[in-house]
Amino acid sequence: MIAADLVTVDPVILAPALMPALGAVLVLVGDAVLPGRRSWQPLLGVVVLAIAAGAALATGLRPTDDPARTLCLPAPDGACLWTAGPTTGTLQAGILLATAAALALLHDGARGPRDTTVTTALLLAAATGGAGVAASRDLGTWLVTLELATVPVVALVALRGTRTASHGALTLLVTSVTSFALLALGAALWLTATGDASFAADTVAAAWADPERRTVLVLAVTVLLSGLGFKLSLVPFHAWTPQAYSTADLGTAAALAGASKISALAALLVIGQALAGAAVDTGSVGVVLGTLAAASMLLGNVMALRQTESTRLLAWSTVSQAGWVVLPVAALSAQGLRASAAYVLVYTVATLVAFAAVAVVGAGALERTRGLLRRDRLAGGALAFALLVLAGLPPGVIGLVAKVVALTPAVDAGLWLLALVAVVAVVLGIAVYLRWFAMLLGAPRPVDAALADPQGAAGAARPHRGATAVLVLGTGILVLFSVFPGLLLGLLS
Amino acid sequence: MVVSLLLLVPAVVGLWLVTGGRALDVARARFVAAAAAGVTMALAVIVTVARPDVDVAWLPELSVRWSFGVDGIAVPLVLLTALIGVLVAAHAWVDVPEGGTPATFLGCLLIVEAGALATFTARDAVLFFIAFELVLVPMWVLISRFGDRHDERARTDAGHRFILYTAVGSTLMLVGILALVTSAGTSDLGELAAGAGAALPADRQLLVAVLLVLGLSVKVPVFPLHTWLPPAHTTAPTAGSVLLAAVLLKMGTYGLVRLPVATVPDGFGRLSPVLAVAGVIGIVWGALVCLVERDLKRLIAYSSVAHMGFVALALAAGSETGLQAALFANIAHGVISALLFFLVGGLKQRWGSVDLTVARPALRETSPRLGFLLILGLAASLGLPGLAGFWGEFFSVYAAWLPAADRPRALFVGCAVVAAVGAALATGYALRVARTVWVGDRPDPEAAAATPDTHGVELVVLAVLGTLVVVLGVLPGPLLAVTADAAAFITGGGR
Repeated sequence: MIAADLVTVDPVILAPALMPALGAVLVLVGDAVLPGRRSWQPLLGVVVLAIAAGAALATGLRPTDDPARTLCLPAPDGACLWTAGPTTGTLQAGILLATAAALALLHDGARGPRDTTVTTALLLAAATGGAGVAASRDLGTWLVTLELATVPVVALVALRGTRTASHGALTLLVTSVTSFALLALGAALWLTATGDASFAADTVAAAWADPERRTVLVLAVTVLLSGLGFKLSLVPFHAWTPQAYSTADLGTAAALAGASKISALAALLVIGQALAGAAVDTGSVGVVLGTLAAASMLLGNVMALRQTESTRLLAWSTVSQAGWVVLPVAALSAQGLRASAAYVLVYTVATLVAFAAVAVVGAGALERTRGLLRRDRLAGGALAFALLVLAGLPPGVIGLVAKVVALTPAVDAGLWLLALVAVVAVVLGIAVYLRWFAMLLGAPRPVDAALADPQGAAGAARPHRGATAVLVLGTGILVLFSVFPGLLLGLLS
Repeated sequence: MVVSLLLLVPAVVGLWLVTGGRALDVARARFVAAAAAGVTMALAVIVTVARPDVDVAWLPELSVRWSFGVDGIAVPLVLLTALIGVLVAAHAWVDVPEGGTPATFLGCLLIVEAGALATFTARDAVLFFIAFELVLVPMWVLISRFGDRHDERARTDAGHRFILYTAVGSTLMLVGILALVTSAGTSDLGELAAGAGAALPADRQLLVAVLLVLGLSVKVPVFPLHTWLPPAHTTAPTAGSVLLAAVLLKMGTYGLVRLPVATVPDGFGRLSPVLAVAGVIGIVWGALVCLVERDLKRLIAYSSVAHMGFVALALAAGSETGLQAALFANIAHGVISALLFFLVGGLKQRWGSVDLTVARPALRETSPRLGFLLILGLAASLGLPGLAGFWGEFFSVYAAWLPAADRPRALFVGCAVVAAVGAALATGYALRVARTVWVGDRPDPEAAAATPDTHGVELVVLAVLGTLVVVLGVLPGPLLAVTADAAAFITGGGR
């Protein structure tokens, strides 16, 4: 341990956040030293992220009651600004690997962005923020790292340079500023209510005991949830999602749909831990969470049913899956928080595989994937499996297990109405994903072949090494977890 | 180990056929599928005799174990499923529908078989649910891709209806299972049946029972949740229809026995009048529809609704006789409906459609073997004594007449009377079909060429099922003896 003046710093424990930050600096310095030669940058990014993910998983293997702690303030309270237990470590690994996947998709083939220095550095910065927010336990770090995790992606959307993209970026930026304002307000209210600048269970319990402070605390949580709702694409804060997904390039959309969502959920879990640990009857907070979850699951699925473009469908699918992610949190129990973490990881892997398959086929009309199973076995098979996982249908067992795990805390807490909404959402979800699945299974029509041909010829010429890697690794992870679902849940506890 | 193999052989071969071996030609694909089904049958026999089990940690977070094994209730269903698996695989020599590669078709059949076997052998409630879901996608592929070539829209519609209806049911069941498991603290079906479930407070039992019965009633199907079944049967290819009627519907009734009846007896008891009435309405409704239905395949599907009504009634009665009757009727319906769907599928293949309003030459003249088997199936279906259908219906009505002590006697007696009337109506529609198809309308000297009689593999398949119909009817004792102990445990020992 390096003894600083006031706080202790352990760089090994901080590695999940430090490594991507270091990578971003290396990329920027390298670009200054070797201008013009940039092909090494995304590769360096992936390597750095993989090492950081390994470090995060290593902390994830520690027992729950002995989390890795650093940046600890001196006695008497000895509060630590960085606390990473198994759930945190696994979520960090998820964020880092999802960023690596987005990086691979973004820089895939000849049509990648010109300015890889900026894109790589931005994604690495976002990964730093994500890894930081998952382990943060105080308001300041939480707020700053959460913004660091999400704002670089807004810049990525804007970088696309086309008119529609900048319009999408503007929407996203306005959303993001609103979200930040809400989060800052919520943090201030939290501080007012608890008198504590950290997310600690004991001060929450004390605040809850006092009726006046409880009102402020409920307000604080509601405002914080609204701010996070934007980042998680929860209804009614979801409106930016379809536009941003369809105007941004696929790599950026994958970053928004993957790493960004895990980061936002990790931030939510930090609040959730404080509330669940307080062991008070936080029913009113549960109602707010439950309402958000129910509205997202229903509206997301209903809208996804009508989409004809692959990225728009994936955007609405994100909205509905975000509802599923928040559903177990509404129970506000330790089991519920773990269930939510498990769900978001499964969702992310499946969604990234879907994005990779879309990257191979080319974004645009859903019809373009018709008969993909016969044309391209790897992309078609991986996409089909990912859709089954998202729908929660065997053989995508892990998707089904994730839904079972997510429903258990809600049923345990007696949230019957929410459980019934979830039943409807399961069925709507099956309709959504099977519609696409049926298209993959169908015979390619001659018209479609002609339509897809110019793209197909270009696609054949352009190697999809990044997308292929994401397809193979992602599907491998999904299959492994489908056979041994205990593995994923074991990583979280 | 043997139990795991029993599940893995059809599952792995089926998955391989739909993925890696998709391009296999029909001759090799059906050989592979038949070999897998044969091995599964052999394993099923070994499992029946040796009764091995497997129990490994699988999902510690939910304390779900990879726990499979068989008891008296599961054994007949495992054997039935394995037998039907062999028959549908053999039927590939008679007919492989278009719509995709033959290997995909056969692979889907095997995966459905694996899912059904896993459902019947699962000893953990959550595992049961996952196995229950396994059949959805392959069955959906069978209906919506390999179904009736005439009407693409109807095919898509039937496929969607099947998967969405049953998904509503199974997810409701999941909520019920989770409510049960989280309150009882264990998901082991044995422990739940031995008293962990019965110890729950009364209103929680009722809630669990409502969710489970409602969810499983979709799969059975119990009136008025049956509307997905007729289109699914009408559209599905012959082998798919057979699996659907003989195996998939049994998963619903088996689930009713395993979950609400065995684990929350008091809650189920309070719910049973509703189930009994729904069952009886199903019996009469199904029979009435059969009296006017034009499509023979749809007619058999509605008769399934009526037969499943008898099973629901018997289960609702709550006595040991009732449970025995339900289990027997379950198996009997599996054999009879398999026979009828193979027959009707064969007729549809020969005639192009099975519309009863089209005048056709007499089946007894053009193809006497088919004609005989049709009469046998119809007679068994209407519950003629001496054939398999009789005992299930007879005991069901008897059980409703003398229900368990805590059931409202008057209501159940009323149900018994109406059910008996429904059984009489069944005679009406069976004779209607016999009249139009077997006796025929149109004398045609060249008819024999249009309806070639059954031979070869098809004859063997039909003969096996026909023989079983007779054997079960003449000698119901052995089957009743197999289920007796487990039934006594569930109705008596569990409380």
